This record gives sequence, C-alpha cells and structure tokens, in this order.
Amino acid sequence: MKRKLVSVLLCVTMVGTLAVGCGGKKDEGKSDEASKDSGKDGQVLKVAAFEGGYGADMWEEVKTAFEETHEGVTVELTVDKKIEDVISPSMKAGDYPDVVHCATGREAGLTETLTKEKGLLELTDVLDMTVPGEDVKVKDKILPGFLDTLGTMPYGDGVTYYAPMFYSPCGLFYNAGLLKEKGWEVPTTWDEMWELGDKAKAEGISLFTYPTPGYFDAFTYALLESSGGADFYNEAMTYKDGIWETPEATAVFDTVGMLAKYTEPTTVANANNDNFTKNQQLILDNKAIFCPNGTWLPGEMKDAPRADGFEWGFTAVPAVSKDQKPSSFTFFEQMWIPAEAQNQDLAKEWVAFMYSDKAADIFAKSGAVQPIAGMADKLDADSQLYYHIYDNDAAVAVMGGFAATDPVEGVSMTDSLFNAVNSVMSGDKTVKDWQADVEAASDKLRDAM
Amino acid sequence: MRHKKGRSGFIAACVLPSVILFIIFMLIPTINVFKMSLYKWGGFSNNKQFVGLNNFKILFQDQKFFRSFQNSILLIVLVTIITLFFALVFAAILSRENLKGQNFFRVIFYIPNILSVVVISAIFSAIYDPNSGLLNSILGIFRGKDASPILWLGDQSIVIYSLVIAMVWQAIGYYMVMYMASMTSVPESLYESANLEGAGKLTQFFSITLPLIWTNIRTTLTFFIISSINLSFLFVKALTNGGPDGSTEVFLSYMYGQAYTNSSYGYGMAIGVVVFLFSFGLSAVVNVATKREPLEF
Amino acid sequence: MKNKKFKPSRIIVYIFLILLAVSIIVPVGWVFLASIKENSEFYGNPWTLPKGFYFQNFIDAFSKAKMGDYFLNSIMVTVLALLILLVVALPAAYVLARYKFKGSKFLNVMFMGGLFINVNYIVVPIFLMLVDGDKMLKEWFGAGFFINNRFMVALIYAATALPFTIYLLSGFFVSIPKDYEEAAFVDGSGYFHTMVKIMMPMARPSIITIILFNFLSFWNEYIISMTLLTEKELKTLPVGLMQLMQAQKSAADYGRLYAGLIIVMLPTLILYILVQKKLTQGMSLGGLKG
Repeated sequence: MKRKLVSVLLCVTMVGTLAVGCGGKKDEGKSDEASKDSGKDGQVLKVAAFEGGYGADMWEEVKTAFEETHEGVTVELTVDKKIEDVISPSMKAGDYPDVVHCATGREAGLTETLTKEKGLLELTDVLDMTVPGEDVKVKDKILPGFLDTLGTMPYGDGVTYYAPMFYSPCGLFYNAGLLKEKGWEVPTTWDEMWELGDKAKAEGISLFTYPTPGYFDAFTYALLESSGGADFYNEAMTYKDGIWETPEATAVFDTVGMLAKYTEPTTVANANNDNFTKNQQLILDNKAIFCPNGTWLPGEMKDAPRADGFEWGFTAVPAVSKDQKPSSFTFFEQMWIPAEAQNQDLAKEWVAFMYSDKAADIFAKSGAVQPIAGMADKLDADSQLYYHIYDNDAAVAVMGGFAATDPVEGVSMTDSLFNAVNSVMSGDKTVKDWQADVEAASDKLRDAM
Repeated sequence: MRHKKGRSGFIAACVLPSVILFIIFMLIPTINVFKMSLYKWGGFSNNKQFVGLNNFKILFQDQKFFRSFQNSILLIVLVTIITLFFALVFAAILSRENLKGQNFFRVIFYIPNILSVVVISAIFSAIYDPNSGLLNSILGIFRGKDASPILWLGDQSIVIYSLVIAMVWQAIGYYMVMYMASMTSVPESLYESANLEGAGKLTQFFSITLPLIWTNIRTTLTFFIISSINLSFLFVKALTNGGPDGSTEVFLSYMYGQAYTNSSYGYGMAIGVVVFLFSFGLSAVVNVATKREPLEF
Repeated sequence: MKNKKFKPSRIIVYIFLILLAVSIIVPVGWVFLASIKENSEFYGNPWTLPKGFYFQNFIDAFSKAKMGDYFLNSIMVTVLALLILLVVALPAAYVLARYKFKGSKFLNVMFMGGLFINVNYIVVPIFLMLVDGDKMLKEWFGAGFFINNRFMVALIYAATALPFTIYLLSGFFVSIPKDYEEAAFVDGSGYFHTMVKIMMPMARPSIITIILFNFLSFWNEYIISMTLLTEKELKTLPVGLMQLMQAQKSAADYGRLYAGLIIVMLPTLILYILVQKKLTQGMSLGGLKG
C-alpha cells in the first residue's frame, strides 16, 4: 500500500503538480454520507509514527478508520522503529509530516530538538474540539492529570504542545515466584528494601539491576516525587535554583548511592544498548530481584529462558520520605504537530480522532492504552495488573519530565543525572560529585529556559 | 611538436572530473562545516544565529570535550604503537621466514579488516560478556572460579583498553599486508650478504628491513591517525555508545551527540573543525618528526 | 632447504601465529554458528553450539526484514560507485603522477588534504546542499532528483573515495620509468591511447587492490546511505542491519540479526578470497613508496 501511494505521489509530482498534498485519487467510489467535514476532498495527511513494542499494524487500522470517517482524505502513513532517521532528513529539507507520534526521552531526541527549536504547533484548540464521531470534547475525555504536566506542556507555560498517547506505569519488576518461594515480602519502604537486600545477599542474590542508565529517568522521577511531593517535583523539573541541593534531593541521591551497594556487579558492563537484555535476564535467572522498567518488559523477554516457577511481579517505587506514598512514573508517548505542517487543520482533526472510542479500541487490541477513562479495563488480565498499581490510592502517579530549554552546548540532564548513574554504580563518581554536577547542569539549563 | 598539441586538453579531460567531484562533494561541504561552526543552530528551524567564535569558547571549557579529546589521543597512540609493532613483526616473519602455511596465515590475518564494524561489535560483545564471555571464561581457568568477573565494558578504567584490543585486532592484517608488500621488494642480496657477515635475524631486521621500508612506515602513520579517528567513532558507536557515563566518548561520537541529540548543530560542527585541524596538525608533526634521509636500494 | 632443523624459536613463532589465527577464526566462525540458532538460544551463554540448523533465520531476514531488497540496493550502489571511481580517478591519478603542468602541485596537495576530511562531519552539509538543489529543481521542473537517488549516493561514495584512491594509484604511476611512455610516443601513440593501452594494463594489480579496498568501504558504509536514502525501498544492507539491531523497547530477533550479519559479510569474504593473491602484489608493485 505504502509503496503504491509513494509511486502515485511521485507520478503526480513528476507531471508537475506543485501543490503539496495533491492526492491523485480523489474519489474511490465512496458516497458523501460519512463525510463529516466538507472541503477535505483529495487531501493527503502525512502521519509519521514510532513503531514501538505495540507493533505497526494498529496504525494501519487507525489510518483506515480515519479515512472511512473522513471522506476524501488519504492518510500517508510512515511507521518505523527509527522514525527519527526516516523523517528528520526531509524535515531538514523543509518537508514536514503533518502529525508526528514520537515520544520524548528517546535517544535521537527529535521531539526535544523540535521543542527547543520552537517548532511545534500549539494544541490548545484541539483540546476544545469535539472528538470526531462523538459529542464529547477532547479535554473532557482525557484522564485528569495528563494535561497539566510538563509531558504535555513542555515549556511549563500552560500551553499544550504534546498530545498524550499510550500511557503505561513504570515501576519495579521482579520475580513474584521467587519472593513467594523464599517467603519474602515486597518492600514498601526503602528500609525494608535494604533489609531484603541483606537477606538476599546471604543467598547470593543481588537486590537490584537496571537495563541501561536511561531507565533511571522514570525511576528517578518517582524517587523525586516521593521525596518532596508534587511541588518539589515541579521545581526540580523547571531547574529551580538550588533545588538539587535541598535535603529532599539529597535523600534521592543518597538512596541511589545506597542502591549501588546492592546492585548486581556485572550490571554496568551490560548497561548499553547492545547488551541490556542481559541485565533484564538477571531477573529471569533469579540473580537479581528488582529491575526498573515499563510494561513492555514481559513482551520483550517473552522468548527468554527463565527459572522454574517464574512469575512477573510489578510494584511501585517505595517512598523516599516517610510522609509520602510510593510512586510510579506514568510513562506516556507524545503526538505533536510541527509548526511547519501543511495540513494543520486536518492534522488537528487526526489528533482529536486519537481519543475516539474507535481509535482507542484499535490501540487497546495491541496493548497500547490511550489516557481515556476505563481504557485499562479493556486489557487482558495480565496487562491489567500494571494499571491497577494506582488503585485505591496505593501509589502516586508522577507525570512529565524536565522542562524544555534552548539548546545548551555540552550540557544535558540525560548526561548529568541519568548516564552518570553508571559511574555512581561502579564507584567512579561519588554521590556528592554527582549531586554537584546535576546542580551545575541545572543552573546552565535554567538560563536557557 | 606533436606532443604539445592536445597536451593541455588531455590533462584537463583527465583531471577535471575528479577536481569537480572533489570540489562539490568534499571541499564545499568542508567549507560549510567551518561556516556552521560560527552559528548557533538546532538543526531544523530557519533560525540560525551568528555567534562568532563562541562555540569554540564553550568548547575549550567543556570538560566532556576534553575527555573525548583525551580518549581519542589515547586510542590513536596505543592503537598505532601496538598495531605497528605486531604488523611489522608478523610481516617480517611471513615474508622472510620459510614457514609452513604462510599463505594461510596471510589470508586469515586480513579477514578482520573486511568485516563490517557491526559484525565486529557483535563479536566483541560476546567476547567481553562478563559472565559467559570468551575472555572471562579463559581467564577464569587461571583466576579460579570465585574471582569476580572482569567487566571489560563496564569498568571505566578498563573499557578504553577493551576498545584498543578490538581496534588492534581489526587493523593488524591491513598494515601487515602493506608492510609485507614493501618488504618483498627489498632485494634478497642485502640479506644474503648480511648472512655471510653473520648478522642475526634481529640485526637484519633493524639494519636492513626497517630502514628500507621507513618511508612506507611513515606513510602508514598518517593512515593510522586518520583511520583511528574514524574507526574509534564506529567502534564506540557500536560497542559502548560512549558509555559507561561518557568514559569512552571520542571526538566524533561527542560531535554526533552534540550536533543531533543535544540539538547543538553549530557546536557539533565546531568540534568537527577541531578534529580536522587536529588530525592535519598531528600528521604534519609526525611527518616532520619521522623524517630521515631516504635510503635507496 | 636448510630449515629442516627444529629450532625452539620457530615453535614460539608458530604458537604466536596460530594464536592470532585462532583469535580470528573462532569469533568469525561463531557468527556463522549463531546465524543458525533459534531466538531462544540467544539468552544465556553465547558460546554454546546451535541445537540444530535453523535456516528460518535467513528466510526471515530475506523476506520479513527485506534483506533481499537491501542486498540488491547495496550491489547497485557499490558497483556503480566503483565504476564512477575508476573512470574518474584512474586518469586523474595517472596525469597527476606523470605530468607537470600549471597547478599540478596544487592539485596534488589538495587531494592529499582531502585525506583528512572525515565523511562523518561533511555528510550533513552534503545532505543540505542536495536538499537545496532539490528545492530548486522542484520549482523549475516540479520534481526533485538528488535525495533518495541511488546514483547520487554512488557518486558521493566515489567522490569521498577520491583522495585515498588517487593517492594510492599515483604512488604506483610515479614508480614506472619514463621510458615506457617515451617509446610509445615515438611509435606515434597519442596521449589517450598511451594511457589506456600501455599504462592501465601495467597498473592492473594496483587497480585490483583499490577495487577491493573501496568495495569494502562502500559495501560497509552506512552513514551517507542512511542520510541520503530515506525511502524504505532504497535502503542499503548496513542500514537495514542497523534497523535490525534497534532492539530497544521492542522484541529483539537475534537469529534474524545474525543471519543479516552473514548476508553482509559473505560477499566481502568471497571477493577477498578471489583477489587475495593480487592484494600483496598490487601494493608491492607501487603504492606506498611514499
């Protein structure tokens, strides 16, 4: 299909049609009855989406559903595991997709770059749009909490630029079978954690491992929230002066420093993009107990051999402060419209469509959960386990990462705060130095806000 | 004179295509690199801001850049010395000694050089694996079962040397074949007369082979500098991605990280400029330092 | 000969040679073995032998991961680039090495300086330049030409290989005595005829050497190809391989990956075995006299 579309488009451009979005196939024998919006005949909407663990098929289905409800519109879909590599060359050439689904925090940092370059379209009016085919406003359909975070308002100025997509809680994964067999409880505080660590060490099992330092983003966010609460968290994310030197922040750094003593010794050696599955394998082999990760982990490791009686367990990150509840960072992906997109109105319509029951159901079939009330209940029992983490206020949901800044040469929080974890774990950097570095980076980034 | 006629036309026809291709695809882009190093630009918007030499000013205060600089130099120096040594020794043995399976060794030793870096990194990931890797399994025999595993890619004081091993492994064959090529053109009579004088193999190597292929070695030193900078990037990208915590970051990997991931394209290009000038300067220095009266045979 | 005597120093030499040979054969052989393992065999000890011959990896790599298409693209780009390079670089190297003319010294220095230009940082400026060209073409003719064009990639490969190739070849041409050409000129042979019929055949071993060197670098190149060929249908093998390696956050398929590694490796191995005899010869006849 895609190949055909491309060649059709190529032919059309060859002939000399200049206008972008010159769909060559205006009518495919559809009547006007389904058409909700007029004047969209022959439009082409270019959608680029990251192919994550949920697969690419759901995007094809959603595309079909959108084309069915929007007469005359052709969606040109580009889905790829390295979507940044595919679209950014033509974006540099000034040829932008109309809508992009690509999360923040990915290695290539495309979303961050566009944000830093102020290259995004404001989505505030999308929130006030009615969901296509339904009579609810978009903002009323999205779960509360998702819209007022730095994960949707990257500049922290109250203006929405990202549409929240596919949420999943991040927390600590473990082998529930192992804990049951040994008669160990799942710790809810860090003191219990260290106790368990000592007990496990006696049996030759390490308490902790992590895939790559990149996974410390969700983990650290959860620690920060559970150390100082919501306001503290937001101040940290917006680089408030001295925030990383407060007792609350110090408690977080110290917790990670303590954790280093309980981390499986070979973890750092495999904490890179080639070998991270070896660290995840430690959980399956009962060589380590906890591993911070997201809901895609069981799928990622589905072919891997495992210890007898293995059973996935999942828990929130224990609270750092005694006054706070355990917390879990809610990872979600972002969809955005480049400011240079050609078909902005149609693009907004597409974004709104993402929150229709129709689209959400398609996504849910592949395990991708839209932030809409009740969506998580449609999952199968295994997957539901993760989404029940917040039930009965057992854990606090943390959302949104660092605020976007102008590019600062040589400085990034990913390096200073997360990648440095490898050095802390291996003992090459003291917790004090790490903390000082983070504060220094924070100072530089604040100036660029 | 018939020779005069058409001479310039012939020369132009032969040289121009190369010169044009070179100017369009190498010279102009390089000039652009120099130009962009004076701008602050994220890579996408039309918002390019001229900042003069500011990128360079930041560069010289950037600790992480200095670390990548150090790593690059360390890799260049170590890889060159070790590879040079082994390549020369093996070349001398294979071209001067009458050994069984000479051809076999020559063919095999070159193989690492034809492999894609992706293949090499897959190989070394498996070799360096802390628990079940080849290296630790072999060392385990000597160190006993209970010794804690050596983290070839995890220990920040070791990981750079792990890269050196991989790079030397890849490069030996290439330079060995080069040296063999020039060693075979050293006249046999020189060795014969040395034999008559009773000079040992080592003396022959140092007094005949080495001086006579000296120009060749000098040339390869430039190759070493250029290819170490380039290959260290490819190896780092594939094996460690600069980690753990930036401890294996080299010139070009840091440039990539800044230009693309950290949205500082102009800054990245400033690093590119430094790399260009550095490799050029280093080659010039090495060239001058190794200058000897050329020996003819 | 006289080396029938067994000297201990010989044994040590053999041990070293064999050690290095083993350190090469074992890992490369391991990649071959890994390519026929099933996915579940990749967790745990990487040095276990495969349980069976799982050829499905190759079928998957060719059909699902489209390595077959990428393979054809790679062949097309590599062969085209080699042709362009030979046609352009051979005459240039010959003339630069053997003719003195106004500016010849400058050109020699320019190409020498080109050795220091690293493809990794000029790739984006090249890309931006092509993009601008495309924009202009679109305005005038309504169609772009430069981006997503395998011919352009081949041309750029050839251009970036020019300094090294000219350097190697002119090293060879310099070493040929003047007599050959003079004899040819006396016989009434023209410039062009002399170059093609007399000098080129002499350069055959060197030409084979540069073909091998450049084949290796074009075949394994991925940074230019990744930037300039963004359409799925046009990708080359190493880029396809990189995609297979993108395991993060999506289930990794190791068997397919190693099958891909073999698919990339095999043509270079075959070419190398075919020309390896000429390799030393090509470098010894000329080349690196400096």
